[in-house]
Amino acid sequence: MSGLNFPITTNRLVLRPFERSDVPLVARYHTLPSVQRYLARPTRYAEDVAGAVEVMRNQIGLQRPGDVLTLAMQRKGDQAVLGHVSLKWSDATAGQGELLFCIDPAHAGNGFLTESLTAMLNLSFDHFRIHRIFVRCDGRNHHSAKLMQKLGMRLEAHYREHALFQGEWDEELHFAILDREWQASSKVRPLPLRERVA
Amino acid sequence: MGYYPHFPVSTQRLRLRQFTRGDVDAVFDYRGRADVALYLFDSALSRDECAQAVQQRIVHTNWAEEGDKIVLAVELSDSSRVIGEMSLIWRDVDARQAEIGWIFHPEYQGRGYATEAARAVINLGFYGGDIHRIFARCDARNSPSWRLMERLGMRREAHFREHARFKGGWDEEFIYAVLQREWQGENQP
Repeated sequence: MSGLNFPITTNRLVLRPFERSDVPLVARYHTLPSVQRYLARPTRYAEDVAGAVEVMRNQIGLQRPGDVLTLAMQRKGDQAVLGHVSLKWSDATAGQGELLFCIDPAHAGNGFLTESLTAMLNLSFDHFRIHRIFVRCDGRNHHSAKLMQKLGMRLEAHYREHALFQGEWDEELHFAILDREWQASSKVRPLPLRERVA
Repeated sequence: MGYYPHFPVSTQRLRLRQFTRGDVDAVFDYRGRADVALYLFDSALSRDECAQAVQQRIVHTNWAEEGDKIVLAVELSDSSRVIGEMSLIWRDVDARQAEIGWIFHPEYQGRGYATEAARAVINLGFYGGDIHRIFARCDARNSPSWRLMERLGMRREAHFREHARFKGGWDEEFIYAVLQREWQGENQP
């Protein structure tokens, strides 16, 4: 699974691997309590962020199951890093992938995640030939839940008190979409007309 | 920590007890059938495989650590005939989670035996093992199994489609669950 070219551009964003110089940009939002609340790997202090960026910086491809591809969401124009999106290749034989994401709350609600995740779903199905993509989110995280529905993902699971998470009973939602259910990229892309040469 | 229940557990018509070496033929009677194995991870077992399975089940009678199983033979009180088995697996010690499972002989289905046995095992988990949540999984095509889960008052928490491969095809799976506080009331022991 290689041959992937970066960056991936969307309407308003550039999706590209992380760089060391991103640490201060990521630190702006990554340590916020409202971001921490739903993250599996906490970075409570600014110094933890360098470690998190280092991990993400090396997640640049999917060579074997378990690998993660993480891309920074960078806004065209002012170059602000708004968050990140990840694709985890969770299972090879059944072609399963998981999307994970995080956005600076200051930039949430503007459709940037919709744009990025649409690009990631295209990438998953078209480039990586994934059969099914799923997303997990906290039951209280209704922003994520609404976003998943907007993308056309089906609610497949609603676990209640099935685990402990950050010292509390966890409530978890799973959303999923199959390759054949994902239509967005099946549209024929317009190509520039070729000059007729006789 | 841990849970070491006393057996047998008796219900109105059934006795739930530890497996013994004498159960091999009775287990082969249902585990040897293709229709029973259809939605199990194993295929139909030979008699030798059943002997091995029974050998393993003999020691699965308590929970000492995470992942341990309690597997019980379900027999009719009157005839001592073994009609199936129940299992309860300790999946998560900290979050007090357990998974319940069952396999029954098709000839004894439709008489509420599985419901009766499952109620007894859920009671064991909640009241004996102090479990917070009990869940069960089954293939979406296995309607007798998920209908039993619904009869028990379990909620359908998950419906996974094509999330894994199963016996050469795509898997479709249901997960049902019940919390201890939801079980209290109508199902007090």
